[in-house]
Parts: sequence; structure tokens; C-alpha cells
Amino acid sequence: MKKQNNGFKLGSIALFLGLTIWYLFPTVQWGLEQRHMDSMTETERIRYEADNAERLQSLRERSLSLGLDLQGGMYVTLEIGEPRLILELAGDFADEELEDIISVAAERAFDTRNDFIDEFVSEFERRDPNAMLSRYYRSDAENITRRSTNSEIASYLRGQRDAAVTRAMEIIRSRVDRFGVAEPGILQQGTNRIIVELPGVDDEERVRNLLRGTARLEFRMTAEIDEINALREQVANYFQENREEIEERGEDNLLDIFAFQGRTQYSFGYAAGPDTARVNRLLEKEDVQRLIPRNTQLMWGAREFASDAGTPLYEIIVVRSQVELTGDVITEARVAFDPTTNAAEVSMTMDSEGARRWSRITGANIGRPVAIVLDGYVESYPTVQSQINNGRSSITGIGGVRDAEDLVNILLSGALPAPLDIIEERTVGASLGEASIRAGLYSILFGLSVVAIFMIVYYRTGGGIADLALLLNIIFILGILAGFQATLTLPGIAGIVLTIGMAVDANVLIFDRIREEMRGGKTLRAAIDNGYSNAMSAIIDANVTTFFVAIILYSFGVGPIKGFAITLMAGIVASLFSAIVITRVIVDYLTREKTAVVSFG
Amino acid sequence: MRWFETPNFDFIKAQKIAYTFSGALIVMSIVAIVTMGLNYGIDFRGGKEYVFEFDNPVSVIDIRNELSAPLDGAPEVKLFGSNREILLRTDAEGEVSDVRDLIISTFATMYPDYTVTVQKTDLVGPRFAEDLRRGAINSIFFALAVVFIYIFIRFKGWYFSAGAIAALFHDVLIVLGIFTIMAEIAPFDVSIDQAIIAAFLTIVGYSLNDTVVVFDRIRENSIIYKTMEFRDMINKSLNDTLSRTVITSVTTLFVVTVLFIFGGEVLKGFAFALVLGVILGTYSSLFVASALVVELQKRAMKKAKA
Repeated sequence: MKKQNNGFKLGSIALFLGLTIWYLFPTVQWGLEQRHMDSMTETERIRYEADNAERLQSLRERSLSLGLDLQGGMYVTLEIGEPRLILELAGDFADEELEDIISVAAERAFDTRNDFIDEFVSEFERRDPNAMLSRYYRSDAENITRRSTNSEIASYLRGQRDAAVTRAMEIIRSRVDRFGVAEPGILQQGTNRIIVELPGVDDEERVRNLLRGTARLEFRMTAEIDEINALREQVANYFQENREEIEERGEDNLLDIFAFQGRTQYSFGYAAGPDTARVNRLLEKEDVQRLIPRNTQLMWGAREFASDAGTPLYEIIVVRSQVELTGDVITEARVAFDPTTNAAEVSMTMDSEGARRWSRITGANIGRPVAIVLDGYVESYPTVQSQINNGRSSITGIGGVRDAEDLVNILLSGALPAPLDIIEERTVGASLGEASIRAGLYSILFGLSVVAIFMIVYYRTGGGIADLALLLNIIFILGILAGFQATLTLPGIAGIVLTIGMAVDANVLIFDRIREEMRGGKTLRAAIDNGYSNAMSAIIDANVTTFFVAIILYSFGVGPIKGFAITLMAGIVASLFSAIVITRVIVDYLTREKTAVVSFG
Repeated sequence: MRWFETPNFDFIKAQKIAYTFSGALIVMSIVAIVTMGLNYGIDFRGGKEYVFEFDNPVSVIDIRNELSAPLDGAPEVKLFGSNREILLRTDAEGEVSDVRDLIISTFATMYPDYTVTVQKTDLVGPRFAEDLRRGAINSIFFALAVVFIYIFIRFKGWYFSAGAIAALFHDVLIVLGIFTIMAEIAPFDVSIDQAIIAAFLTIVGYSLNDTVVVFDRIRENSIIYKTMEFRDMINKSLNDTLSRTVITSVTTLFVVTVLFIFGGEVLKGFAFALVLGVILGTYSSLFVASALVVELQKRAMKKAKA
């Protein structure tokens, strides 16, 4: 009976160990490959990587991956702008009432944690129980008509939101892939958030623009030169005439931070990069807005046009409010080089419908500039030289080849269905990551040695057995992590260190119980049997409760904290197994002779 | 080696001292939290946080002063591990990288010959921070509720649940209090962020471990010694498990201390919370949880008789 029992235990140990080795093997191999590749020269390495691309890729995917906090990189949480999306879905039906409902619903959704669309519908119905949402929303494709009920429309809106998130994720994936990041992570969180993990990336600004750019491309005409001159004069006069009043209020005066002179005839003026936010605030003032005609808009240039002692200068261009053509018509975009200056530019091709309209627009506006606007910033405003019939256009004045490539990337991956806001962004430098790995390894080693020595001193042979179990325990944890394709983070390493201290608990409970039984006069074998069985309920209770806590931690935590929760759970499972099953097998083996002596201190 | 082979301490009798001690700590914690406010980190407050590394020592005070004007308000500046690394937290508006560039350009005028590298950047939007904060509070209360229910089911007595929960509450509250008091004086970052919440939940789990082992022994002893006074039985159970409680606490304290010393700057606050938690957790399961169970049981009995 007893023998059979141990056979089962031995079998499960072999199985568990086998699985662990199976899952950890790629990680070890990958580590060896990396060491091997580090010893090569640059050219050798590139060659080697190209020759073994498939094998290396599969190894990397199957090996235990390190979190961004350990290998360095960037972690971004994006939130889709649901209020904007819902407003835009209404299209031309949108009115002030709708805008108001949306903004109230947005506030409430935040306060109550409810779904924005639910709040939107309930706010709409609260105002007028008989009103129909079909007033605002129609869709032939989704069969939303004038007679659709509010709940039908609510589910239509929800569907549109979900589609927008899915589409945004696809677009981000395509942009990130083009950007060339190994192992990017893109996942949805909740109904309206997207998490993007980019290991090894440290050029935050570039990534940020890449992720957030909605890629709304517009072609607009600039305003007439005399209109621009008049506007510039009026705004400058306003700040001149009200100088004292503004000073009294302690506000900035636009005249001090903005140069009212154009680089070209179409620009309104320019400001230094750090001042642009203040300039915007001043231009948004009601008194100033009143001076700007309805059919014109002020827009910043996308890039600095010059620099003044290291400070970049940005200009404001005066464009028409009306959009002549949008980016939907673009079918192809690529990086090209100006034949004379050799400067990088983006060359775009339009579909036939776009080409026809483009031909009409350029034909009617020869000698005047067309502003190419991307996400609300003027990329360039070249002057139309002649009518363009082949649907070609290009964006010039781009900083360098890399900027041009990014622009092509954004244009090609398509427009985001709704704006994305960055609500969380974390970057860790590679050197801090390395320092963290080192610190984590030292902690594991020191922690393990201290506990191991203590256990041997206190429990003698028993302690040695527990130490062996502890060692296997750590390997099991790593195996479980690799098996579940979890990521090892710094808090995760902390979890392993903590587990080292807590994992011996089960053995402490058992060994103390064995000592107690022996004090009661039992033989060694009987004491061992009773010790294991009597300690069991305490072990189970203590571990089940801790496991619950780890589950809660997992479901609440984000990023690295999740990693901590996972190692904690893995640690509980592994330590229960090694403390109860493995030590039992060893203890039984050592006491197989009736006369055997095993010291529990 | 054997510690506490057959101890016979009267833990329940020590409860007067324990209550006074715990009471004082709790009052101190509450006063600190109410008057000074919880020292939220970037996760729960939002804003921008950077870690910069210089090639030479820098002055935290100078940096704070010099940056107050460009950042529209003094940033929080702390040394991060060595006197060449600083942690800087600011609520300044603008893009993360613009603010970073602004800070670096200020450094360039302050320390023209130094080179500086950015080790870490964190941006948390105010609304997202609010989300995280609510999530954290919910998770702690949720954890306590789950523990209450589990203990109630396993040990069939609400006073066991109540005793355990009170002990956990005691541990977390005091750690929070100590973190608040140390906000200004600690040589490392002790702001309350997600990692600290993880530490709290770990403390909850750990402290519970100890408490549950004692409760388990109480259950066992109550079957063997049917006629023993409830109070004496609990005391016996505490003594029976004392050796185990101490050994596990020692090994756990070993590893969290190792983590505190060697775990690196990023984990300092987290490890510190764990060190405090292990000490408090052990203390509370010996002196607070069981004493409360006796107290509550006594009252419940009285009520039942009356």
C-alpha cells in the first residue's frame, strides 16, 4: 500500500520535473544563443541571425520573457475618445444638445465607472423620455433607420465602439510592426483601452507620435494674402491696445512671446517651441477668436522651420476652414527625394475619384498654396504650379529620412477611427533594467543561502531535505512561468525571493509537528506519518487564503504587479508540491530501514 | 537547535500591554495620515516622474530651487540610490518629453560639465490615476472580505473572522502610518503606489498565514481538550505553534531584509513595507488576533446567556 503510494508520488515528481525542463529548455537555449551571438563581430552576428532567423524567432517566443522593467522599453496605455467617436458618428445630425449630453455623460461615466454609452443613453432619455436617438444616428449598413429604437441604437453604438477599438489595435499593430520592434505587445484592456508594450524602445517621442497620430490627412486652401495681413494687424493691435489691462491681470501678452511677421506671406507669425502652449491659450481668448473670420483657421506648422540659438521656431499658417479633400483618397505613399536638393519628401498617389477632384482643385488655384494638414498641423503648403491630373501630391520640408518614413507609415496604416489619448506612459532605460536584473539575482542568491543555512542549522537532516525542496521549488516556479508564457518582472523576482522565505513554512510546520510527536514518545516512523498528516490542514488553510489574496492582486494589478501576483501563485503551488510531496518521498526513502535515524534537529 | 521547545507564555494576559501598544501605534498612524495626508506616488496622483543619472554628485536642494520657475512650481526631488541619481516628480503641463527636455536644459546650465542620462520616465494621467486608486482601495477591501468569508466557513465562528480581519487592518494601517511619517525623512522613496498596494496584500496574505495556523491549532485542541477554558485553549494553541511562528517569521524576515538591502532602488519602498509587514504580522497574530477572538467570544457568550 505504502509503496504504491510513493510510486504515485515519484511519478508525479518525474512528470512535474519533466514538464518544467520541457518548458524551461528554450529559455536556456536562448540564453546560450545570446551569449554565442554576443561573442561574434557585428557582421558575423547579422549573418548568423539571418541564417537562423526562424529558429531564433521560435526560441525567443518560447523562452521566458522579461518584463519591460527588466529589459528596458516603453509601456503605453491608450484610451479611445468615446465621446468624440459618438459625436462624430452622428455626423451632420449633431447639434449643441447632443454635445451637451455627451459631455455630461462623459463626466458621469467617469464618476460612476459605468460604460460611457450606457450613461449617454440614460442621460439622453432623462432629458426627454420620449425622444428618439434615431434623431441623431442613421446607418444603412447596420440597418439603423428613423424607426430604430433607442436600445437598437445603443447596441449599434456599442458595436461601433468595439469595432473602433479593434480597428485602432490593427492600425497600431501595423504601425508598430513597420517601426521594427521585436516582440511588441498590443492588448485590449476593458472596453476602451489599449496597452502597447515596446521592449527595447527608447525614442519616446517618435513612438508617441506614431501611436497617437489619427492620420487624418486634409488638403485645404490657405487664406488670401490681404485677409491674412488684415487679421495679423487686428490681433497685434488688440494686444497693443490692451497692453496695460493685460499687465494688470498678470497675464502674458502675445506681443512678448509671438513674432507678428510671416516667414511667408501666408503665415500669421511664429513663436519659440516652449512658448507655443502659452500662445495657444492667448489665441483661444474670446476677444481674439472674435477677430478671426468664420471661414479661416489658425494652424501650427507640424515642424520647426528654423531655430534661434538652439530654440526651435514654429509658425502659424492661416488656412480655410473648408476641407477640399481628405486622406481617404490616398492609395499609396512612399519616401522620395527632391531631385535638386536631395531632401526627403513623401510622395502620395490618389485613387481615380481623388485624382479627378485634385485635378479640379489644382486647376482652379494655380499660383496659390494648398495646405496639407495632418492631425491638425500643417505639414507643408506648397504653391500649385500647374494643374495636376495624375493624382500625385507630395509633402516636402520634412526633417529627415526617418521622419519621412514615419509619415509614410502613418499614412499607409490608415486613419484611426477615433482619437487616442495616452493616459499612462512608462519608459525604463536599458541600464536601469540591467541593474534591476542584477539586484534581483543577488537577492535570490543571498535569500536562498541565508534561508538554506538556517534550515540546516535548525533542522539538521530535515533542513537539508527542505533545502533541496526549496531549490526544486524555484526551478518549478520558473517552469510554471514559462509554461504559462508569463513575463518575469522585477516585482516577480521579488515574489520569488519572498516565496523562498515563505516556502519553507510548510516544512517548518511539518518538522515542528514531527518533533512534537516524538516528544510525545512516538517512534520516528510514526512521528513522521503523524507529523505530515496533522500539519496538513494548517498548511492547506494558510496557503488557500494566501492564494485568494494573490488572485485578487492579479485581477486588480497592472503590468509588473500582475507579474508579482503570478509568481506568488506559482510559488504557492510549487512550494506545496515540493514541501509535501518531494520531502515526503526523501524522508520515506531515508527511513526505509526500521533502524534508520533521520535528525529533525 | 531548538527554540521555544515547550513554551508556556501567557499571551492572553499580555493583551493589556499589547492593546496599549497597538492602540498607541494606531492612534499615531491615524493622526499622521489625517494631518499629513497619504503620500501618494505617481500611480495614484498622476503627473510625471523621471529618474536621472549624472556622472557626478548633484544637490537635490539646488535642483529643486532651480527648477521651480521653469516647471511652474517646485518639483519633488529625491536621491535615488546614490547621490548621482535623482528621482524627480512634477505636475508641470506639457508632453513628457518636452518637460524632460526642459529639465535637462536646466541641468545643462546648472552643471555644464556633467552628462546626464534618463533612466526612467513615468507619465500617469490624472483620470487614470483616479482609476488606479479606486482599484487599489477596492482590491484591499475585497481581499479582506474574501478572507473574512473563508475563515468564517472554515472555522465556523464570526469571532475568528473578526479577529483575523482586525489584525490585518491593524497591520496595514500601521504600515501606512509609518510610511506617512517617513515621507519627508526616509532616504528612499516611500510614496504609496501600486507596488506598495501589492506589498499590503502580501502582508495581508502573510499575516493571515500566521493567524490561520494558530486558529487551526485552536480547532484541533478544542476537539482534544473539550473541557479546557476557551481562553486557556487559545493560549495553549499559541504556545504550541510558537516555534513554527517564530521560525517562519525569521526566514521570511531574512528574505525581505535581503530584498531591502540588495533588491535595488526600484524595490526599496516595496521591500520596506514587507519588512514592516512581517514584523507587525507576526506580532499581531500572536498578541492581537487571538486576544480579540477570546474577547469577542466572551462577549458573544455573555449575550447568549443574557
